[in-house]
Amino acid sequence: MLSFRILDFFIALLYFTGALSFLLGLIYSSKKTQDRSVIITATGFGLHSLDLVLKYVLGIGEILTQSQFYISLLAWSFLLIYFLLWWRLKLKFLSITAAPMALLVFTGSLAISPSTLPIPGILQGLWFGLHIGSLFISMALLAMAFGAGATYIYLDKKIKSKAKLGNVSKDMPSLHSFDRVNHLAVIIGFPLYTVGVLSGFIWAAFTWKTIFTWDPKEVVTVIIWFAFAWLFHRRVSGAWKGKKPAQVIILIFLLTLASFVGINFFTETHHSLRP
Amino acid sequence: MEQQIYLFGLNHKTAEIEIREKFALSGFNPINIGLMDKEGPIKETLVLSTCNRVEILCVSEKKLDEVASRVLEYWAGFCGQDPGLLKKHIYTFEGLEAVNHLFSVAASLDSMVLGEPQILGQLKDAYRKSVDEKTAGVIINRLLHKSFSAAKRIRTETAVSSSAVSISYAAVELAKKIFGELQNHRAMLIGAGEMAELAALHLLNSGLKDIMVANRTPERAQELAGRYNGQSMCMEKMLENLHKADIIISSTGARTTIISAAQVRQVLKKRKHRPMFFIDIAVPRDIDPDVNQLDNVYLYDIDDLKEVVEENLANRREEADKAREIIHQEVEKFSDWLKSLDLSPTIVDLLNRGELVARKELKKTLRSLGPEFSESNRRAMEQLALSIVGKLYHEPIVFLKRRAREEGTSQKFIDLTRRIFNLDDEHIPEDAHQRKIKGKEK
Repeated sequence: MLSFRILDFFIALLYFTGALSFLLGLIYSSKKTQDRSVIITATGFGLHSLDLVLKYVLGIGEILTQSQFYISLLAWSFLLIYFLLWWRLKLKFLSITAAPMALLVFTGSLAISPSTLPIPGILQGLWFGLHIGSLFISMALLAMAFGAGATYIYLDKKIKSKAKLGNVSKDMPSLHSFDRVNHLAVIIGFPLYTVGVLSGFIWAAFTWKTIFTWDPKEVVTVIIWFAFAWLFHRRVSGAWKGKKPAQVIILIFLLTLASFVGINFFTETHHSLRP
Repeated sequence: MEQQIYLFGLNHKTAEIEIREKFALSGFNPINIGLMDKEGPIKETLVLSTCNRVEILCVSEKKLDEVASRVLEYWAGFCGQDPGLLKKHIYTFEGLEAVNHLFSVAASLDSMVLGEPQILGQLKDAYRKSVDEKTAGVIINRLLHKSFSAAKRIRTETAVSSSAVSISYAAVELAKKIFGELQNHRAMLIGAGEMAELAALHLLNSGLKDIMVANRTPERAQELAGRYNGQSMCMEKMLENLHKADIIISSTGARTTIISAAQVRQVLKKRKHRPMFFIDIAVPRDIDPDVNQLDNVYLYDIDDLKEVVEENLANRREEADKAREIIHQEVEKFSDWLKSLDLSPTIVDLLNRGELVARKELKKTLRSLGPEFSESNRRAMEQLALSIVGKLYHEPIVFLKRRAREEGTSQKFIDLTRRIFNLDDEHIPEDAHQRKIKGKEK
């Protein structure tokens, strides 16, 4: 397992270099540095994929009950969505959130000692895969929309107040492209989130013979779902564009993050990832 | 006496447009006119004539007074004017000052609009003409190539040519920041003034889909819209069509505002809150300033745009200081090259280069021979390598010395030697001379 430790460390190093060099490339408005940083992050992503596959293949049956694996998988989903968005929208700029976010979550997964979750083996069914898969992808979409939203608000304020656009603002993509990220995150993210939440409840109904247990995680999730549903409605009906959906999605992402970190690690819940 | 570089010229700072027109030098061929001839004092010439500047660059072994009077005489003569009048408006640079000035011109630091890109192209044309007319020699060739590379360096290393410095370009830049690509967007001109038309033209050139024109007199609206394949309408129809426009350029002579925030709020609903960019260039203003408070709506009036332009210009001026530092460095480099055109430094460089190669190869061979190879053998090999180099360079050096005695021709051969043996360590890209070849084909 030592070789995995080295591989993990190397991936974290690549993410760190990718995140840092993108920031530097942005500050010194050097396109070359930015391009290189994306290549570095992509290399890290490739190794990360290999790492996950190897761990799954070698440790089959066991790995799926280890908390470390899931957190690492979340970091991986962030980058997966980032590269998909980059491919669809040509938005290299989202590297600004993708690389640091993946770094943070991935090093987080390394920091906790590998421990076995108190989850019964029946978890590995179809429902559970659906539950984790759809929620992680919608979280990754939220993460990208969070970065896009924050930049949107910054740039919108600058243009509205007629402030001077510095070098960094000049290199930024247009407001329109950031709003597109928000649009995609809502249109795809909300249905996925719904699927994730529903599959969780259905699974709970089968396993624990009850749907809602007033578990803190479940309560927060329902609140987030309502906020998300409201945002989805406003966007689809065309009542909202630009700043408001950006603000709301930032709020939703922060809530999800808080519930992931705060509740899963620090409270008594059956979603506990505590070692 | 050695060759000296001189530059005589007038520009927008030293001469009014009437004077610049009188002394324009388009079609001036220094050889046909007689400014340059075989026995004359002037060896090389380059003539740059644009609407903002007329300059003559020349290389001569004579003193400034003699060269200046000859140049001014032929210049004024060509234009049919009095040399005395020309003398009043002219600036003169000698030696490295002339190099410095030429580099500044190429980098557009001396232009009326600081950092404008056209001047470099004009200078390249002037140089091509001097090559075709065979008035450029060793020094002008080198000088112009260096001025192009200095200009390129300044463009990549400083922001002196970036950011919009005209109101309509500033508007286009902002529109792109808001909408991204403009292909699927439409602009509406309210009032068909000249400035509004200019802004619309810039937008269309940047890929805008089409324009609509609303005007009090429908004829003018039709004429303008027809020119750009757009839709025209009378002023009364403007509000009900407003939701179709993403960019609105307003420039009517109305006394009060013609579009209120409440109206824009209605329009926004109709277009599902897609963003709108209002450019109000009318004085007094046409559009209620409160419009800017609405989400997804951006309003810039003429003062805002002027401020953007001012800031960009100030930014360029700041960058110009950095650019001058680069020019200073490049002038230094050029000065080193000029000095190397004397014979002795070239001989020293040549021998040094040879010794360097010999020692490098020697080291490689000795390493492969191993430690048991004796010290005396090593010394013998060293001597062998160095004497081969000395013998090889002997003939070229004798040739150069002989040519140096024949006045005037030595520089050409010294320059050639430096290039053949690459004594200045230049890295010349594969395609460096493509343009020149193309120029010759014509």
